[in-house]
Amino acid sequence: MGSFAAYLAWLAVAVFVFMVIYRFIKFNSMPLHLRWELYPLPLEPKHHHGGSYMEEVDYVRKPRHHIRINGILDMASEVFLLKKVKEYNKYGMWPFSFCMHWGIYLMCFWAVLLVVEEVFNWGAISPLSNVVGAVAIIAGAFGSLGLILKRVGIAELAAYTAPVDYFNLFFLLAIFATGIIAWVTDPYFFDDARAYVAGAVTLQPVTVPFWVALQFLIFELFLLYMPFSKLFHYVAKYFTIDKVLWDDILNVKGSAVDKKITSQLSYKLTWAGPHIVPGKTWVEEVEIVDAREGK
Amino acid sequence: MALEVSIRDIARPNDDPLVSLSMRDLIDLPGLDEEPPLEPTPKKFIDKYEMSLDGHCCIGIPKPKSKEEEDFLVRRFLSGLEKLFNSEDSWTFKQALRLSFDYCVKCQTCNEACHAYLASGRKEIYRPTYRSEILRRIWKKYFTPEGKLLGKFVGADVDVNWRTVTRLAELGHRCTLCRRCAQRCPMGVDNALIARELRKLFSQELGIAPIEILEKGCVQHLRVGSSTGMSPSGFKEAVEFLEEDIGDRIGKKIKIPVDKKGAEILLIHNAGEFLSWPENPEAFAILFEAAGISWTLASEAVGYDAVNYGLWNDDVELARVAVRHVKIAKSLGCRKIVVGECGHATKALVVIADRVLAGELSSSEVERECCLPLLWEIIRSGAIKFDPSKNNFPVTLHDPCNMVRAMGVVKPQRLALKAIAPQFREMAPNGVYNYCCGGGSGYAIIQSFNFPQWRNKIGARMKMRQTLEAFKNELDPVKYPFKYLCAPCSNCKGTIRDAITHYGLWDKFRINYGGLVELMVNAMVDIDRPFIEYEDFH
Ligand code: SF4
Ligand code: SF4
Repeated sequence: MGSFAAYLAWLAVAVFVFMVIYRFIKFNSMPLHLRWELYPLPLEPKHHHGGSYMEEVDYVRKPRHHIRINGILDMASEVFLLKKVKEYNKYGMWPFSFCMHWGIYLMCFWAVLLVVEEVFNWGAISPLSNVVGAVAIIAGAFGSLGLILKRVGIAELAAYTAPVDYFNLFFLLAIFATGIIAWVTDPYFFDDARAYVAGAVTLQPVTVPFWVALQFLIFELFLLYMPFSKLFHYVAKYFTIDKVLWDDILNVKGSAVDKKITSQLSYKLTWAGPHIVPGKTWVEEVEIVDAREGK
Repeated sequence: MALEVSIRDIARPNDDPLVSLSMRDLIDLPGLDEEPPLEPTPKKFIDKYEMSLDGHCCIGIPKPKSKEEEDFLVRRFLSGLEKLFNSEDSWTFKQALRLSFDYCVKCQTCNEACHAYLASGRKEIYRPTYRSEILRRIWKKYFTPEGKLLGKFVGADVDVNWRTVTRLAELGHRCTLCRRCAQRCPMGVDNALIARELRKLFSQELGIAPIEILEKGCVQHLRVGSSTGMSPSGFKEAVEFLEEDIGDRIGKKIKIPVDKKGAEILLIHNAGEFLSWPENPEAFAILFEAAGISWTLASEAVGYDAVNYGLWNDDVELARVAVRHVKIAKSLGCRKIVVGECGHATKALVVIADRVLAGELSSSEVERECCLPLLWEIIRSGAIKFDPSKNNFPVTLHDPCNMVRAMGVVKPQRLALKAIAPQFREMAPNGVYNYCCGGGSGYAIIQSFNFPQWRNKIGARMKMRQTLEAFKNELDPVKYPFKYLCAPCSNCKGTIRDAITHYGLWDKFRINYGGLVELMVNAMVDIDRPFIEYEDFH
């Protein structure tokens, strides 16, 4: 299993990185949509009262800018603190969701620290990586188990949870729970984890206790699976928020938006409603007054 | 505890409504002891039309009479659903919809934001996620490899039969598209967009929509000139009436400019104002005249009616109307279009249509603005003298979702009210966190079947509660014989008018409603009589 897992680690990281880039490009190459922003818009200088540049007379002629840092802070507070879940979720999901997310972040961070330790021979950071690893598996196990119980126990949540959603949570729980079992059963857990990662990095796998190897194997499988699942929302979220809810770019003649829209207006429609003439481009379609009368 | 209704119940093959509404479940209205009861669904409707969602309907889809008709509905529904994700057919919202479809984590954080869900006593079918999840599961089942291979495991488990289709058509019209839910979603998922695209599917693929929105709305707007049915000559008569009425009200003659070439501003009102609330366009005329603004109305078909009902359900109609508006402004040589007090029309033209207006029609060529900043500018500039003591009665403000949450126009109307209404107080919550009036997304104009009951009892209920709370210390009609709910939006006013009537808030408490411009004119020093008629509710 050792050498298989070592190769799998490389494969998992490679697939993960490739898929993130691939899907990012795919999302980015979708057509530019109509504006559909939502206020308060954190990038807006007037965001403290939910305002926008459209509060000004003659706004088209005035300069406008975004405060990027506010956007980054807002996004970060969602990613790292799960602010909206904390404020608004009435089913008490926040502590579990928070722990589960931090379990994943720290698990990844732990893996990176172990790689760094090996590559740069930085034994000095071992105490840090041990703490990160310990917190990751405890928080992750607590969070994912809690979320499973919430979803099973609360009818409003259960009704909307498909088996695949439970599968995802159990997948996560498996990473963290095997980690805890490995820690409990192996007095040299952190050193074995270190040895495992060192073996994977150098492609010279060493034999480590079963539970340690299993935990990393599941984690590797998870990395492979994640970009194909809904858990990919950490990338998608950038688009839902930054590219849709925060997109307030005004269309000015000759701008990049204008060029893109002009080309999209040449797309042809096939809608079958009686007020639409199928086969015409958007530009042609807007000229039609009443398709029912053939005008 | 099992829920009253499940996601898969949407396909239930009988006439029984998925939920039954009950007065006991609805949220309280403080200070109101009595209200009209919920009337049961008339049998004549049940026999003929699809009423099996909640016993209400606004579209009135006749029950299919043959297997062919049933199959037609199913086939067209599925082909429409597929087109929503086709780049050419639906570039307008494809990316946004794709993201909202794929990345909801079912945390249900959004639900408690929804006025309809809350007002109904948390009826399952009004949960923002209910319709989204149904649609998502259908999509998975019929259009994705994982749905075909793994079925229930990935949640691909909702059957499409004609009941699913007709119930979904109605369910798409139990959301006012206020987007309050989207504000709370940690993923940025927008259930309102999903509801809107569901409606688009029906409108663009099947021609199914409430008659007031498509047939008598967009189609008539383009063909006759206005969704009200007003032709260009009817419009000119309406303007003559406004001029006479202004004379009667303020004792001064004002000539309303129509088709004035080279005017700086083309002002476009929701044409419903000319018929229902002429004092609103009159007040604009008085203010613009007194402030020395260069402006005009347009008499060309479509150009005198700002409404754009495509915003709620139809991208093609949205584009057709918006392009007409801008072309008319260009032909008159106007530098910019200002949309009157109508939220959806403002959002449609200023924001959403920005990306169907390319090249010569883009914003740098013809500017497009909300009227509220201009109204505040009139006050701020000192061009007109106002005496706030003329508005010395309790005033509260409703924030139209389309101008506020969807456009970020929050402050100008507040600054204006603070300057001209000494007893102004906010509702709670307000601004971008406001609740919808209950008439969003076309409900204000839908009078078909028993839909007005749904709108009054569920849709507008939260707004009525907020209104009663805002005036809670002044409800006594003797001590406080006039209170004003300021709603600077034509559709909001329509809903509020009906809801105030339904709950008897004028008769019981003397709560009236109206726009912002009426209050401004009422406070003008140069006008020696009240512009607002204190005894009049209409
Ligand atoms: S829409 Fe957003 S808030 Fe609502 S359930 Fe989905 S992820 Fe949660
Ligand atoms: S958009 Fe508004 S009415 Fe529609 S589901 Fe969301 S909160 Fe409810």
